Amino acid sequence: MISCEGLHVTFNRGLPTEKLAIRGIDLTIPMGEFVTVIGSNGAGKSTLLNTIAGDIKSTKGKILFGDRDVTKLPATGRTADIARVFQDPLAGTCGDLTVEENMALAYGRGQRGRLSSALNSKMRNIFREQLSRLNLGLENRLESQMGLLSGGQRQSVSLLMSALQPSSILLLDEHTAALDPKTAALIMDITSQIITEKQLTVMMVTHSMRQALDHGSRTIMLHEGKIIFDLSGTERAGYEVKDLLNLFAQAKNDGEELDDDKLLLGA
Amino acid sequence: MSLFSFMGTLELGLIYGLVAIGVYLTFRILDFPDLTVDGSFTLGAAVTATLIVMGVNVFLATLIGTLAAACAGLVTAWLNLRFNILHLLASILTMTALYTINLRVMGKPNVALIMEPTILTPFEGLFGLPDMYMRVIFVAVCAVVGGLLVAWFLRTQYGLAMRAVGSNKRMAQANGIVVKQKVYAGLALSNGLVGLAGALFAQTNGFADSTMGIGTIVVGLAAVIIGQSLFASRSMYVIVLSCIVGSVLYRLAVSLALNADFIGFSASDLNLITAVLVALALIFPKLRNEWKAKQAARNEA
Repeated sequence: MISCEGLHVTFNRGLPTEKLAIRGIDLTIPMGEFVTVIGSNGAGKSTLLNTIAGDIKSTKGKILFGDRDVTKLPATGRTADIARVFQDPLAGTCGDLTVEENMALAYGRGQRGRLSSALNSKMRNIFREQLSRLNLGLENRLESQMGLLSGGQRQSVSLLMSALQPSSILLLDEHTAALDPKTAALIMDITSQIITEKQLTVMMVTHSMRQALDHGSRTIMLHEGKIIFDLSGTERAGYEVKDLLNLFAQAKNDGEELDDDKLLLGA
Repeated sequence: MSLFSFMGTLELGLIYGLVAIGVYLTFRILDFPDLTVDGSFTLGAAVTATLIVMGVNVFLATLIGTLAAACAGLVTAWLNLRFNILHLLASILTMTALYTINLRVMGKPNVALIMEPTILTPFEGLFGLPDMYMRVIFVAVCAVVGGLLVAWFLRTQYGLAMRAVGSNKRMAQANGIVVKQKVYAGLALSNGLVGLAGALFAQTNGFADSTMGIGTIVVGLAAVIIGQSLFASRSMYVIVLSCIVGSVLYRLAVSLALNADFIGFSASDLNLITAVLVALALIFPKLRNEWKAKQAARNEA
């Protein structure tokens, strides 16, 4: 379970370039819930995810996993609970290392670096078995350099890597945005499989309204560092992309005039 | 080239093989260009030589010299990680400071070890081998054992984490690797190896001198580049040992160039020769690839 209580994040605090990225977010995600996060560029979606992961320090408020307060814990201290897949296919893997070495790193996630051999035949069997799920033939390329794989292949491997170790939370930051539609569909498919299999608590940032409604059981929209609406249950089930857009326009009109964000948020 | 000078060249190449492995660790594994080595090579030599003159056991002296150099690496890492000073600049600062520290350690510009026991003394006359060969065998064992240990280390979970840090910090962090700790460890290990090379150099050559470390980084890089352009492999064992081979080949090439009378080089031309050799080692693989691409295009036509 993830809870954020009165979360604030300010960049460059005290400087002329100060930016209030998150302005008071209260959010509770029960165990096993799949939340999709939408919002225009600069709304604070990625900042929220990075703050929960520990890459960014919050300036005010608390973050809890279950009843454990992790607000002060650095990113590396949270990796036993959190698995992540980034938007950039190159960000989630090391191009200089081989496929099996990358997977071995993820396999050792949350463990202390030990002076035992990084790879063994037991791990290789697990990796091969996992890679064969992708149907990309990667199970025969364990010793290929990661940098030689295509973006889609690298993203697929990143996704498998996120599930190699037991974790309770999966953070997906637009992880299909850089892929072609076919690969994106494949990745989304495997993502759903993994989530059901491991019963993960998931936050998925996406720019696609369609994807946001089709996956998960709850959708939140961020605007200027705040949650402007939170949809779930039967209310959400009746929603279409155009309803979401209307809702967004309304919510924005309450405070200010509508701008071109509608274009950015098209399905 | 006489047999004696050939053996001397081999000896020097093997000692600098340890430097090459250290440089490989920072430049290639951690992606942290570290010029500290110019100072830590001398520091290893200076501390060891001074302790030996004071009557400390040679093995203990060598160990302390190595550890002192490892600490120099930690200082560079600290300047970079704690205060965000650019890695190159942080290492130049440490290197500059070390010049003074080395003079202070020795108390004078150089320390002679001619009449002192060295790490080689216990092996003198072993198996009735002439000194000349024994010295080469000794440094070869040091370099190869050091290399094998580093290669083994890089294949462990800890070593793999270090390689991930150099390749993709964000990914490393997302997988629970403490990035800073790996950089500290890598710089300490790298400079420790370089300091060990300095300590061995001082004992095989019979002196430590405040200027002996100048250009260490270039020699180390030359060895890494030569070694890697000759052996293209992904095996850590091959890569690390190719650093040693590269170092020996570099020394042989320099020695040949200096000894070839018809070219007319003198010892003072060393730096130009080094620069040309490194440039050639960098240019050669590129030309080879271009040539191969041309061949392939011709075959298709």
